[in-house]
Amino acid sequence: MAKKKTLISSEELQNAYVDYVLTHGSKPKSVYVFAKENNLAEEEFYNYFGSFEGIEQSIWTDLCQKALSEVENQEVWSKYSSREKALAFFYALIELLKSKRSFVLYSLKHSGMMLGTPAIITGVKNIFEAFATGIINQGIESGELADRRFFTAKYKDALWIQFGFILNFWTKDNSAGFEKTDEAIERGINVTFDLLEKSPLDGLLDYGKFMMNNGGIKQNMKF
Amino acid sequence: MKEQDSIPTSKTQRSAKFVKTGFQVGGNYIKHYSKKLFNPTLNKDELNLDNATDIYNSLSELKGSALKVAQMLSMDKNILPKAYVDQFSLSLYNAPPLSGPLIVRTFTRYFGKTPFQIFDEFNISSTNAASIGQVHQASLEGKKLAVKIQYPGVGDSISSDLKMVKPFAFRLLGMSQKELEVYMSEVEERLLEETDYDLEIKRSIEFSEACKNIPNLIFPTYFPDLSSKRIITMGWLEGLHMKEFMKTNPSQEICNQVGQALWDFYNFQQHELRAVHADPHPGNFLITPDGKLGVIDFGCIKEMPADFYEPFFSMTSTNMLQDKIKTISTFRELEMIRKDDSPAQIEFFYQVYKEMIELFALPYMSQTFDFSKKEYFDNLYNYGERIARMPEFKQARGVKHFIYVNRTNFGLYNMLHELGAMVRTDTWKPHINTSK
Repeated sequence: MAKKKTLISSEELQNAYVDYVLTHGSKPKSVYVFAKENNLAEEEFYNYFGSFEGIEQSIWTDLCQKALSEVENQEVWSKYSSREKALAFFYALIELLKSKRSFVLYSLKHSGMMLGTPAIITGVKNIFEAFATGIINQGIESGELADRRFFTAKYKDALWIQFGFILNFWTKDNSAGFEKTDEAIERGINVTFDLLEKSPLDGLLDYGKFMMNNGGIKQNMKF
Repeated sequence: MKEQDSIPTSKTQRSAKFVKTGFQVGGNYIKHYSKKLFNPTLNKDELNLDNATDIYNSLSELKGSALKVAQMLSMDKNILPKAYVDQFSLSLYNAPPLSGPLIVRTFTRYFGKTPFQIFDEFNISSTNAASIGQVHQASLEGKKLAVKIQYPGVGDSISSDLKMVKPFAFRLLGMSQKELEVYMSEVEERLLEETDYDLEIKRSIEFSEACKNIPNLIFPTYFPDLSSKRIITMGWLEGLHMKEFMKTNPSQEICNQVGQALWDFYNFQQHELRAVHADPHPGNFLITPDGKLGVIDFGCIKEMPADFYEPFFSMTSTNMLQDKIKTISTFRELEMIRKDDSPAQIEFFYQVYKEMIELFALPYMSQTFDFSKKEYFDNLYNYGERIARMPEFKQARGVKHFIYVNRTNFGLYNMLHELGAMVRTDTWKPHINTSK
């Protein structure tokens, strides 16, 4: 029997793992079994990953990182507003997920939940939040987004909710080429950013504050 | 115009938009009639203006087919009072744009490359909106290009949008549900075709090839390799839309030249191709600096089957109207007079339709026709408004082909009127088999 090629990179290990779970519909029995099948000593596996969860998490974070670096390398990136950067990221992510759709569906289905988020994408959450914070700060600096005391820190959570919504929408999308997901992204992200932008309400609050600080509302109301 | 902050997303939201308009229109009627209590001389112009503004505001917040319907309504100047028309004409030019990333996304989806990789230059902000898409400027190998990108999901929302437009059409046009049903399927079919960019590029190439010998008419070059289901790439035509063109005070000679090209273009198609560019609104044409007419959109093509073409044009190009019996039998063929009509109804519809055909055919009756004449168009509008008020016209009349053929012809006449052009009307004549 010809010896199988030895796996020597984390990427190859990821692919072997994906292949295994999709073919068998479940995780390998143990790291030992999995390593043996791939002509690897168990300890060599641990050089790359600590566990199967570790592999799955790394596949997710790699996808997310790849989507980020892809959009950041587009030459229009620097010209994009925060809103457009968020849109671009989601389009790129969904495109990348397409190539691993079966795995994504498997992974989400078999993952436990942690605080409302599938445990398997907690790594992604960290990366995404760092990205979201970055574009939100950029938006506030440029005046695109409203800086609201107490709420500004929550903006990234609003975007993370969209992340979950879009991912969920995509897993259930039956349209050709997942075109419906494109629409969900365009509309969902626009709605979220509409809320984060300066609105008449901000003007009203600001005006109220001004009146409070300048002689009090009561006094000014008397003619 | 107010900046648009969001596109109403779900069908319920879109419906809500329409419901709101319904209330507003209802409110406008209340406002009108309460004012009329105190001022009986008040005419309906103000009411119509109020209604048109509300409906336009509501429609322009919806993308795609609803906007298309607004455009179609605006073309039917003969049916709609003038105030509607002025508001709806706005919808021909302005619609809110797609986000930059979605444009990039659309390209990567169909070509696997970003527009910046495909073209030497690509302007991410659109130069103008078509009703179901938007146009971007690009360049490749020194050639300036226009790239039209379709909004995603337009095709899906057409049917549901039409359903929502129906109650409005009832009220707006005073039509009965039954009459509308006859036309809705026809409209839906055309609109769905319009979302098919593969079909559009095929037709654009065919039609521009077939019409290439008509003087003073130009077409952009199409690039099928750079086009797909959602994207059409064509050469960039320099020029002005009709409204801006007229603001430059062009000479009568140039107006006539452009008008003649327009006339020839339509009549060549009707009579030689038996299929016609059925979307003659000013947004689909450009007038070049040297006074040529550029045609930039072949989304909507109406084919004219022989069982419509023959009877319809034999009325206008022969002296059939002098012969009452023959005329009535043709009206029957075209379902303008129905089997179960009483003799009194037959006489009534004979008179009304004869007047319509005579009005319509007037430009064909002489060698040249001056479309700048206001009386002719006032007659057309008056005829339309009179018909709209007749209770007899609350039911369906005429074969479904009329909706696009009428729209095409009245659209053509209106554009020629706006140009104030004098044209030779005998350039392309109908081919009618008179041996029958």
